[in-house]
Amino acid sequence: MKKNLTKIGLFLSLGLALVACRKDEETIAVPLSAITVSNLAADTVTGLGVDGRPQSAGTTTYYSLVDNKVIASTDAASTKWDVAFSSTKILVNSGTSGPGLGGAFVFKGLFDDLKTIPTDSSFSTDNANAASYAIPLGSGKAWYTYDGLTTLVSPIAGRVLVIRTATGNYAKIEILNYYKGGITLPATASVNDKLFKQRYYTFRYIYQANGSKTF
Amino acid sequence: MKKIPSAIFFLGLLQATNLTAQSRVVKDTLQSNGDSVVVTATRTERKLNNLTVPVTIINAKTIQQNGALRLTDILKEQTGLNLTSGFGAGIQLQGLNPDYTIILINGEPLVGRTAGVLDLNRIALGNIKKIEIVKGPSSSLYGSEAMAGVINIITDATMGAPLTIGLRYGTYNTLDANIETKLQSKNFQYQGFVNSYNTDGYSIRPNSNSRVTTPVGRYSTTQQIKWDLSNKTNFLLNARFTNEKIQNEIAVANNGVTIYSIGKENIKDVNASSSLNHRFNSTLKTSLRLYTTTYDAVQNLLTINGLPYRDVLNHNFKRIENQTDWDLNKKLQVIFGAGAVWEGVKSSRYDSEKVRKQNDIQYAFTQWEWKPSEKLTLIGGVRFDQNTQFASAYSPKLSMLYKWHPQHQFRLSIGQGFKAPDFRQLFLDFTNAAAGSYSVFGSAQAQQVIAKLETLGQIGNLFPNYYLLKALKPEYSNGMHFTWDWKINPSSALSVQLFRNDIKNLIESQQVGTYISGAQIYSYLNIGRAFTTGFEVEGQHKFSSNFTLSGGYQYLITGDKDQVAEIKSGTVYTKNSQGYSRLMKLNEYVGLPNTSKHKLQAKINYNSPKGYYLNVRAIYRSKWAVNNNNGNEVFDNGDVFASGYVAINSAAGKSFKNGLSIQCGVDNISNYIDATNLPNLPGRTFYTSIKYEFLQ
Repeated sequence: MKKNLTKIGLFLSLGLALVACRKDEETIAVPLSAITVSNLAADTVTGLGVDGRPQSAGTTTYYSLVDNKVIASTDAASTKWDVAFSSTKILVNSGTSGPGLGGAFVFKGLFDDLKTIPTDSSFSTDNANAASYAIPLGSGKAWYTYDGLTTLVSPIAGRVLVIRTATGNYAKIEILNYYKGGITLPATASVNDKLFKQRYYTFRYIYQANGSKTF
Repeated sequence: MKKIPSAIFFLGLLQATNLTAQSRVVKDTLQSNGDSVVVTATRTERKLNNLTVPVTIINAKTIQQNGALRLTDILKEQTGLNLTSGFGAGIQLQGLNPDYTIILINGEPLVGRTAGVLDLNRIALGNIKKIEIVKGPSSSLYGSEAMAGVINIITDATMGAPLTIGLRYGTYNTLDANIETKLQSKNFQYQGFVNSYNTDGYSIRPNSNSRVTTPVGRYSTTQQIKWDLSNKTNFLLNARFTNEKIQNEIAVANNGVTIYSIGKENIKDVNASSSLNHRFNSTLKTSLRLYTTTYDAVQNLLTINGLPYRDVLNHNFKRIENQTDWDLNKKLQVIFGAGAVWEGVKSSRYDSEKVRKQNDIQYAFTQWEWKPSEKLTLIGGVRFDQNTQFASAYSPKLSMLYKWHPQHQFRLSIGQGFKAPDFRQLFLDFTNAAAGSYSVFGSAQAQQVIAKLETLGQIGNLFPNYYLLKALKPEYSNGMHFTWDWKINPSSALSVQLFRNDIKNLIESQQVGTYISGAQIYSYLNIGRAFTTGFEVEGQHKFSSNFTLSGGYQYLITGDKDQVAEIKSGTVYTKNSQGYSRLMKLNEYVGLPNTSKHKLQAKINYNSPKGYYLNVRAIYRSKWAVNNNNGNEVFDNGDVFASGYVAINSAAGKSFKNGLSIQCGVDNISNYIDATNLPNLPGRTFYTSIKYEFLQ
């Protein structure tokens, strides 16, 4: 008897759900799902300098969240890219970084919990001249911590990078890993691994194309 | 005819040596242990059985039979104590860092801490009568640092063989030699002890020539004189000198580059104490004590491809103290004490290594011991410390003993302990040119230094907590200890102890601003709150007159109270294996780093009437958190842990009646190695030693 009631209930609610869907079909877009980008190289290390610091070519990897692809650095001065990566530095297409309408701020909380960008949020832009970036540089400032003892970079839990894209739409990013293959290195990893497997970003993001602040 | 006297003489000598040998045998029943006299717990001589606070005694025989050379060797085998590494070998007592346990030699404090840690390898165990460990805040008697407890090393002042020579050799070319002299006239006693310890150090990192423990040469001597001026007055003089030379080829890995350098360290540690003791009558006695100590450490680093680096630390401490004991009646005994301390530090990490930073302390204490009945003892005490450099401190303590039943007794103690801000937290003036040029300024002068930098246009911005910088308050702990002792039968005993320590005003470094360049500026503030709680169980059983099994277990829970509050409020996150963040749950929190939930040790001891002995000791310590790597500032299940381990040590030997004793031993039999987290634990090591007492 009880089983039957449950079945009836299920049937009814399914029916209601279908009706509801049909009704709002035109206004509700397909639910957005997160895209994961893996192993994005960002100025990877080429060797070791005499000062004891990792050496690299100083390149920047430009990325389009709209098209989910890497943009050639020759297009750096265009609005084709939304975010760019160079070691632990993350740029947005704004200010001294690019001609776009970009901006960003760091949200403290969970990726899934950020359903709507709060109305009182303020987006910052990049200003390299004042060493001021929309996503602040440095350990413990925005998305990572650096441990001087283990020399490892760890993304901070509960940090979402809220991005205004080059064209003025919105996206949210969570950095998942900084090491090759998305595999966190153990503290005991070899010096070589720590050196050459760093600067490979794995992150997930949701891009809202309709211009709204809701994901 | 001539042979007879010599035979008689020989027999007589044999007899005499027999007597001496026998008189040296200490009764080792469980009962006799309770009769041991303890001085640290109440600053008066009290039998262990009559104490109101938990105390552990390690006697000379245990130290000798365990083959312990340095203080660390014996402390790591005690319930509730763990060795820490980094800035020398320190001791963690009931989960509290080495900063919070005061180390005394004959009641006088040792100084010379680096980052709060006093390297206990400095202390040779050769001429020690016993070590007393008091658990729980004891600032009501000892002032600053006695927050977790007190370790008091009592040197041997008993008379015995006039000359004893000991020699020990072991793995890593470790050679320890000592000579002990004891002389006595009618009202004069002298004990002298000289120890030399040399080791090549050891390398336990695979494929590396950098040594975990470096070649060390230590020389130390202790000289004691007791002079009975009359049958009511005596004068004691005690001097100790330690000289330690360390040479180290250091390999420093910085961002993957290894820089090799040669380091030379020279540490000198001198203490001298004198006391004049007078007994007016059977109920009143007083003692006047003078103590001076200097710790001087010089470190020279000669980098192969860089600049020379020199680090100097000179700490001196002078104290005058009077203590008067007055037995008002059979039921009430009172102690009054007062003293003054002049303490100063010179360091190259302060603004000028030539200027001595000074702190003067005046203090007074009293303790009232009331015995309303045979079964009940109540002790109340309080101490007041006034400091020139920071806020003063009151340290009250109440404790009681209830002998409910001949087989059961209960102890309860509640007290407040404190730790004064140390000189580093007050005066540090350190800028690390190598790692991003960050600076740390001691709180006593941070505002002054930063204000000056601001007028020079060096300061980028100042955080709100910069304006909160003011005179540091001491760190406080409230401790509660409850102990139940159960003498199950004449050969078995069990003791259970519950403890809780609540600490507030923890002094931590925190960023207070930035330079124009963006580099951080740190200072020290009273910010943290923490707790440690748990229980200890200790037991022993004598299977026969020869065999004893003893053991101890500690269960420990620790935590940062602010972090616990944050976790409860749902603002602490963690990452799963894919890197996705999620809320952290309270049951994932593991508390303070470097603390283990479980510690267990067991010892089997065999002593034959003929002087043979054998012991096997095992220590187990469960995993402890060492590094935060999963994206939050708190330690949880997902962080980096040092694995739990077992170390087994064993020693065997024989004492002959003619004064000769031999010993051999092996430490860390299973060869457990963890170069990163346990640099103080070499692999398996062997040693053998010989000792000869020239009997009278």
